[in-house]
Amino acid sequence: MAEYVGIDLGTTLTGLAWLKSDGNPEIVPNGDGERLTPSVVYFDSHEDVKLVGSAARDGGDPERTVYQIKRHMDDPEHFVEIDGRKWTPSEISALILSKLKRECSRIIGDIDDVVITVPANFNELARKSTIAAAELAGMKVRRLVNEPTAAAIYYAHSHGVTGRVLVFDMGGGTLDVTILEVEGDNIRILTSEGARHLGGGNIDDMLVEIYADQYRQQVKAGLFNDERQRRRVLQAAEDAKKMLSKLQRVNDTIGNDTDGIARIDLSREQFEKTISRLLTRAIMLVEQALDGVNLQPKDIEHVVLVGGSTRIPKVKSALEKFFGKPPKSCGNVDEAVALGAALFAKKSARVQEVCNQSYGTLAYIVNARTGEEGVQNSIVIAKNTPIPCSMTQVYTTSEPNERRIEVDITQGEDSDPRYVDLIGRITLEVPPNRPAGCEVAVTYSYDENQRVSARVHDKSSGRSEEIAVTYKGAGILSDEELLKRGSALRQLRIE
Amino acid sequence: MFKKVFQSFSRAFGSKDTKPSVPQTIRNAPALTEESISGKTGLPEKDVVKRDLPGRSPSPESICGINLKMPKYEIRKRLAVLYRRYNRAASSLDAKMRAESEMMLDAIVKVREKYFDPI
Repeated sequence: MAEYVGIDLGTTLTGLAWLKSDGNPEIVPNGDGERLTPSVVYFDSHEDVKLVGSAARDGGDPERTVYQIKRHMDDPEHFVEIDGRKWTPSEISALILSKLKRECSRIIGDIDDVVITVPANFNELARKSTIAAAELAGMKVRRLVNEPTAAAIYYAHSHGVTGRVLVFDMGGGTLDVTILEVEGDNIRILTSEGARHLGGGNIDDMLVEIYADQYRQQVKAGLFNDERQRRRVLQAAEDAKKMLSKLQRVNDTIGNDTDGIARIDLSREQFEKTISRLLTRAIMLVEQALDGVNLQPKDIEHVVLVGGSTRIPKVKSALEKFFGKPPKSCGNVDEAVALGAALFAKKSARVQEVCNQSYGTLAYIVNARTGEEGVQNSIVIAKNTPIPCSMTQVYTTSEPNERRIEVDITQGEDSDPRYVDLIGRITLEVPPNRPAGCEVAVTYSYDENQRVSARVHDKSSGRSEEIAVTYKGAGILSDEELLKRGSALRQLRIE
Repeated sequence: MFKKVFQSFSRAFGSKDTKPSVPQTIRNAPALTEESISGKTGLPEKDVVKRDLPGRSPSPESICGINLKMPKYEIRKRLAVLYRRYNRAASSLDAKMRAESEMMLDAIVKVREKYFDPI
């Protein structure tokens, strides 16, 4: 049996690594001989088979193909309907994990316990969905670990660095920025910030627009009319992006059956101009991470690049300009996260992580000095608190004779309730005829997998209530459905 | 929902001049500044300049509440606050909020590129 296994369940690619007996991690190839498996699932209409990986990405009908499901792991209402059957994001991800579990276990032995990586900005629901995906695939999640943390562990392991490190992880769908301190084998995470829609997939979409514009100018017609054709253009754009990381100019020919072909001309200058806004957002995220822990660019000793999109020269030059020193590649930008996850499976006790989000409750806040008042998000566990942790805040009831105390659990650090998520509620029945001002203790606990649970304790009556946060929606399976569908999923033919 | 919240929890924050009638409510309360009461923007809403004409799309500056007379450091601070807020909201469970956040982030970046050095 493989004891220490890490999986990078990525937006575009998924990789599995294990820790060899010599203490070094190694990527385990899938049954197709590939080190990384495209995170794509195809539902065949003729045979009862689910294709996962390159075959699904390259050959299938786009209408029956699911791409980048990871982008929807935090959407409670998202599902994919194929032949009348609704598939949740967890189930689609489970198909990808199932292929890896089956095929990689032929090489390294049974895979039961795994560490799975998630973007640092994955919220509570997305983390829960990831754990559900692994369980559906028949694996127990030993720990979730943030992708940049895993990459940093690999970098520290392979380069032997010490000091303050900033990991800039730009993958297929998200950007994560993590600042950490490395001292020997010990790693202390200071903060992580993440951004959606800041990855290679977004850059590809921008290039597709350039392709479509140039085609329209030359042929006076649209470049694609259906998803299959758009996918072909997307693949061409992705290839062009890779070439523009090495060349100053790229020429391509693109067309469709009805309107003919056109010659596409792209320069690196044009490409860099196109992605400049995206990179400005990326630099603002770096600033946010530094600001969150009161650091300046000069305080960072190593800037480490992770993720395929960091191959783009402009990404490197933007970071070099910002930090005043060149960033360093972690050496293996596509596989570092999976390799780090395998290391983390063994070394997790030496890694001190922090809470990536703030958790609080809605409370009526009165500023006794200014007289201002209103409902605000009152933080119980602040972002960047070392985990696991448990924190308590004491509030008071504002009305006499309240019979029910309702505590809304919020996720997010903004004081304005409009900009945080309500992820749960605890209702506590209390005795009648109480005056206003009764004290209520709200305790949140945060575990190593960044999952939150809450407890409310009414001090005068001694009553209390406790919940783990649960979600409802068309894209979420109940515990009962999880068991039932997991059993059915493990019987499927997945290639 | 808010009404229920109103009727359940309250928490008072104050300084030295806190009224003695509510001492138990402030015992465990961390200090809350006026800035945080106004949404941590550091800029009251009245400072937001609406220069757009009817029928025209609002400018990125207007969307971001940037007063053209603001010094650069204040613009930078304002943009950082907005970026933090809307970058977080881009991962909201609420689809409407996610869409609004993308629009706001786009405006924030446009202002940033206009007023500061390109990256």
